[in-house]
Amino acid sequence: MDLALQLLFTGIGIGSVYALVALGFVLIFRATNVVNFAQGEFSMVAAFLMIVFSVKLELPYWLAFLISLGGMALLGALFNLAVYYPLRHRTYLPVIISTIGASIFIANTVLAIHGPEPEVMSGWFETPGFLVGPVYLDSQYLLIIAVTAALVALQYWFFEHTLLGKKLQATSQDKEMAALLGIPVAAMIMITFVYSAVIGGIAGILVAPVLFVSISMGSTIALKAFAATIIGGFGDVTGAIIGGLALGVIETFGAAYISVPYKDGFAFLVLVLFLVFRPQGIFGERVAEKA
Amino acid sequence: MPLLELRDLSVLYGGVEAVRGVSLKVEAGEVVTLLGSNGAGKSTTLRAISGLVKPASGDILFDGRSIAAERPESIVRRGIAHVPEGRRVFPGLSVRENIMLGASNRTGLSKSQIAAEADEMFDLFPDIRRFAGSLGWTLSGGQQQMVAVARGLMAKPRLLLLDEPSLGLAPVIVQAVFAIVAEIRRRGTTVLLVEQNARMGLSVADRGYVLETGRLVLSGSPAELWSNEEIRAAYLGGRTAA
Ligand SMILES: Nc1ncnc2c1ncn2[C@@H]1O[C@H](COP(=O)(O)OP(=O)(O)OP(=O)(O)O)[C@@H](O)[C@H]1O
Ligand SMILES: [Mg+2]
Repeated sequence: MDLALQLLFTGIGIGSVYALVALGFVLIFRATNVVNFAQGEFSMVAAFLMIVFSVKLELPYWLAFLISLGGMALLGALFNLAVYYPLRHRTYLPVIISTIGASIFIANTVLAIHGPEPEVMSGWFETPGFLVGPVYLDSQYLLIIAVTAALVALQYWFFEHTLLGKKLQATSQDKEMAALLGIPVAAMIMITFVYSAVIGGIAGILVAPVLFVSISMGSTIALKAFAATIIGGFGDVTGAIIGGLALGVIETFGAAYISVPYKDGFAFLVLVLFLVFRPQGIFGERVAEKA
Repeated sequence: MPLLELRDLSVLYGGVEAVRGVSLKVEAGEVVTLLGSNGAGKSTTLRAISGLVKPASGDILFDGRSIAAERPESIVRRGIAHVPEGRRVFPGLSVRENIMLGASNRTGLSKSQIAAEADEMFDLFPDIRRFAGSLGWTLSGGQQQMVAVARGLMAKPRLLLLDEPSLGLAPVIVQAVFAIVAEIRRRGTTVLLVEQNARMGLSVADRGYVLETGRLVLSGSPAELWSNEEIRAAYLGGRTAA
């Protein structure tokens, strides 16, 4: 029982990272009808920016964090202009290929600049964690969970209670009608890309002390988050969050009770099972025909 | 000067000419009806006016100024609201939110001002008031049509483009929709109405035009059009556009 509680905590912690990246998938999918296969690279680039500003240049954590997020906002904007915007009137296929190309390009650019060695980033807090009853709460995981909860709450408020949030929703539901009402569609899509790059970046920075910071972390996180999105359904923000948390918990329990070496395998087992038996995800929306 | 003028407007889809050399005028305060059967080019004409498709040749003047090269977002800011064919209510937003977004072309309004205006819309459309919080997709076709027209009016347009508001609605609902068109007209908004239902379309109009395979073939007052043999034949189903 104690072990189960411990695993649950860890699973929710890592699942929060998947949830944040999955949110990026869902928001861009809803705005453009396309899966952004470079979403994981946003996390990887942000983690490397953090290494540069925090570890190499030794800026205070908070400052390095803000600068890195600024960099991510810029990357999101450039990504939209270079990868999506020129192809916006095409079908989904050229756009998907374009995001795959961008993913390879971004990973290799970081490789060329930085080299292949992984980096280690220390945790944010002096205290590595503490015991509450039988459960050891790792402070980095606590931070991940807290930041994810705050972001989810903020995003909910934004989409449900602001006019801009409603305009973004309208754009994702019917772009032509949105344009007829005077909603600046191109600007709405720009906002979506910038925001998705920033939350992907936050996920990468938060998870950096838990994993090694490496070129391949982007594709690893993206595959997990993609599985999370399939579980939750591509059309649904709540689904992405629940899918991410569920996947984190499943793989943590799987690693502890079944097999550690196959930890990453559980994500793909779940992915395949969902694709076969429930491709629209727990929360509906048929995505199989689109992606 | 007419509020809207089309000069020799042509629109191509691929190589196919959907609208061929159409010239028409809408004066401020008028309700003008554009009649025609399936595929005549009525929707295409409206889509060209609101900027969704670009004319291949000819010009579109609003207030005497060409808007033919402008994007839909800027055309609606000039005061042309387009309520398109098929209603296009945002399915995942509530009825109130749909209506509120109709004011997206107007600047300097707070969210609470827009919400207050949306609530006033329900005086004009009492039938949808009780669905204010329901999601768009849950409404019937007639109710969605009311939402679409209310959303169009939230733009405070000087010219309202209505594309077949009666399409697929039960006769009682059609009556209700046209009562609203009459009320919009009474309030002084200029309307360009597209209809296949000639009787209803002409009943609220000052003037009418008839479009056939992309060309204007007739124009005149409702009485003139209604007494025309060809029109009667066309609307009794005696003839269809090729
Ligand atoms: N997106 C498009 N691509 C190619 N051809 C089109 C497109 N939209 C319309 N057309 C063609 O242009 C012509 C005019 O179509 P339009 O929709 O303007 O007719 P309409 O008068 O509105 O008809 P309806 O009463 O059926 O709505 C038709 O022949 C139609 O097939
Ligand atoms: Mg039409």
